[in-house]
Amino acid sequence: MHIDRDKLAVVLAVASRTGSDYADIFIEEAYTAQIFCEQDRIERVTAGIDAGAGIRVITGETTAYAYTNDLSLDGLKEAARIAAAAARQQEGDVTVDLRQRHPSFQLPIAISPETVAIAKKVGVVERVNRTARAADPKVRQVTVSYRDISQRVIIANSAGSWVEDERIRTNLSVNVIAIEDDKIQTGYESLGGVIGFELFQQQNPEELALRAARRAVRMLGARPAPAGRMPVVIAGEAGGTMVHEACGHGLEADLVQKGISVYAGKMGQQVASPLVTVVDDATLPGKFGSFRFDDEGTEGQRTVLIENGILVGYMYDYLTARKDNVAPTGNGRRESYQHKPIPRMTNTLILPGRDDPQDIIRDTERGLLVTRMGGGQVNTANGDFVFEVSDGYLISGGEIGEPVRGATLTGNGPKALAMIDRVGGDLGFAIGLCGKDGQGAPVSDAQPTIRIPELVVGGIMEEDQ
Amino acid sequence: MTLEMQDLARSVVRLAESSRQEVEVYTIKQRSLRVEVTDGQVETLREASQTGVGIRVIDRGRLGMAFTTRLDRESLRDAVQLAAANAQSSAADEFNRLPDPKPVEPMALLDPKLAQLPVDVKIDFAKKVEDAARGYDVRVTKVRQASYGDGVYEIGIANSRGVDVGYQGGYCSTSLMVVAEEEGQAETGWTYDFSRSFEDLDPVRVGREAAARAVEMLGAGSLATCRVPLILAPDVAAEFLEVLGPALTAEAVQKGKSVFAGKLGEAVGSKELTLIDSGLLPQGIGTAPVDDEGVPSRDTTVLEQGVLKTYLYNTYSAAKDGVESTGNGVRPSFRGALTSGIRNFYIPAGKLSQGELMGQIGRGLYVTSVMGMHTANPISGEFSVGAGGLWIENGRPVRPVRGIAIAGNLIDFLKRLVAVGSDLRFYGSVGSPSLVVEGITVSGE
Repeated sequence: MHIDRDKLAVVLAVASRTGSDYADIFIEEAYTAQIFCEQDRIERVTAGIDAGAGIRVITGETTAYAYTNDLSLDGLKEAARIAAAAARQQEGDVTVDLRQRHPSFQLPIAISPETVAIAKKVGVVERVNRTARAADPKVRQVTVSYRDISQRVIIANSAGSWVEDERIRTNLSVNVIAIEDDKIQTGYESLGGVIGFELFQQQNPEELALRAARRAVRMLGARPAPAGRMPVVIAGEAGGTMVHEACGHGLEADLVQKGISVYAGKMGQQVASPLVTVVDDATLPGKFGSFRFDDEGTEGQRTVLIENGILVGYMYDYLTARKDNVAPTGNGRRESYQHKPIPRMTNTLILPGRDDPQDIIRDTERGLLVTRMGGGQVNTANGDFVFEVSDGYLISGGEIGEPVRGATLTGNGPKALAMIDRVGGDLGFAIGLCGKDGQGAPVSDAQPTIRIPELVVGGIMEEDQ
Repeated sequence: MTLEMQDLARSVVRLAESSRQEVEVYTIKQRSLRVEVTDGQVETLREASQTGVGIRVIDRGRLGMAFTTRLDRESLRDAVQLAAANAQSSAADEFNRLPDPKPVEPMALLDPKLAQLPVDVKIDFAKKVEDAARGYDVRVTKVRQASYGDGVYEIGIANSRGVDVGYQGGYCSTSLMVVAEEEGQAETGWTYDFSRSFEDLDPVRVGREAAARAVEMLGAGSLATCRVPLILAPDVAAEFLEVLGPALTAEAVQKGKSVFAGKLGEAVGSKELTLIDSGLLPQGIGTAPVDDEGVPSRDTTVLEQGVLKTYLYNTYSAAKDGVESTGNGVRPSFRGALTSGIRNFYIPAGKLSQGELMGQIGRGLYVTSVMGMHTANPISGEFSVGAGGLWIENGRPVRPVRGIAIAGNLIDFLKRLVAVGSDLRFYGSVGSPSLVVEGITVSGE
């Protein structure tokens, strides 16, 4: 991008001219490549450029925001004028002195996807497709989706901070459909991170294909999950949707400040079992939610949210940190230049404990074992949350029993976290696209094997005879 | 009159270098505004303008795509070349085709007032929404994101077979979330409404509706696991329809991804169920003279009294089945691939009011909210979602319940539909009245 410091300073001065407290600009150029395979062939290949700028002006409690695709100086000044006019204050002359800041840690990318020939990317997709199809004769359809994005950003603000960065993400997902008689089931797996094409050297995409295919086939023979309240063991390999929903969202400072989080006003209090420590960490190399700088130019960091069950921190962006008079925690994220930054999770995890995961299952007389979680949702105001079980088994007499299909688990965040009575020494990650206020953000979540003595399993009652 | 975007689309089609390539160009220019109010103050005001170009190239059956937000001639030429280069990496498919031009009926989709409305009027609207929610009940403690938003757009679609169309449109919408509190318990209510014209959007109705939903949930408790009749409120029913939509596209059927495969002409739902998709519905948000590949819009009855009449087709899936496109070629944006999808997809209104539906079931659950609907599986039809609502005894709501879940299979659901309410309402491009379904498991204590 050819946008120099002087030009940025002029645009910020226009945005600040109306006496706002703060103005910032986020300029983005995103290059994406996508490959989509279905019906046993590459159906389409897409590439594109999305370039634009978002300008934000904050005056007191009011945020005005304008965005444009026109990255010429005139285009940016016009957007700055629109944002400033919306903020409506007295005009005055402002100068902005920008100093470039550099990251204190790196998230190395070994093989930039832009340097990889499309044929090579297509090759990975075809390999995944073939592996999934060969896994079982009941596999009838396989969808493989590959995507890489190189997002170059310039973020500058009226306080003089100026950051340039590049975020590279690569990810691949596979969805397998298995059919037997009139039964149809699916298995889904994905992998990805802030990583280049080395992703496929570090993790074997064919294993991903096999996991998805085997799950789809296994679910054909699974019976519906039972209905009602029961103990639930969530394995480390299941991912981290539970922690994301049960407490992650409720610890985002905007929801806390608006009083629509069950965790509002609970700082320093016991909100979870003493066995539970939760952190949000944007600095982990290679993870899907990592970054050097957030979308407001604050450096990514590791933030302890819950320590041994005690609430010790919230996740802040610039605006919410200013309200609470604390430093931002580097959680200000936006989907693109078209969106304003809001507090978001990055990589959120429950830290490992001391139990042997096998012992946790062995010590559970009866219940449900979750080995893969899907999507979830939370009502932060009352803490009720749900998450999908995409792979689950009954536990009977401490043994893993038959697989069960399609259940959602329902619980209440603080109640469920307080009940956790076993925490394993393992840790498993899963990636996802988190939605909030109409914006998607790439995140990862992780947890060790844990046991929650009571959750409601949304299953099916046996037909009355 | 030709539009700027239509001219742009037509000119980009001409940039293709080889006559063996078929080219389609989709252009969109949009301006939008959104205002959010908290405690009578503007919290966020967003104004946006965006222009984008999406290109499809078909080269001897191979499909390549590209998009760009840069409108200079060189960038556009690069994008066309990139799409053509991408086509070399895909597999040939004889059904990859672009539609031929057909006569297009113009439509008035842009309320001229929308483009001229002063921003103060829009801010006042959002304030009225918030005031109405707060004024509804003293137990309403918080209103989050009382909002007003609108947008105007211009779209151009041209292809190398001679399709050359353009149209304009506009919409406005409002939404809010309300928290009601009593005795340390917090409950929420949410609602959304939209229109093509500003006059038809009522801030007071929307504000009061969200507040009523939060207040009626105060004191909610759980429920023992049971199997009872459910009444799905229109917005909950619409969420189910949204999951159902993709399974009724011919694309899903042809790819073996639909539970409706091989069921044409069969009864897949109860006699009470009729399902319509329309690109022509007056005031519909999915309404346009053409679909996203320039095929004229039409009305399609998908299910009639439970019988599956047709699937929804775009040009590709229609060529494959040897039929005509139903105008269901849909792009999520100029960046996304052209696939197939719903336009305005709805269950027409029946005769019974909500009160009459409650009287009919006697005892059961009136479901007013669901959580985790995005986890429902559109391929297997299985769903399991968190739920909240009102317990009904003797045909009347007696207490609120939450922390429960409902689960089943959508196909089973369609067959268990026993009554359709008169209160049809659209939530975006999906609309439904209240629906009564019998014999669904409710998981609780």
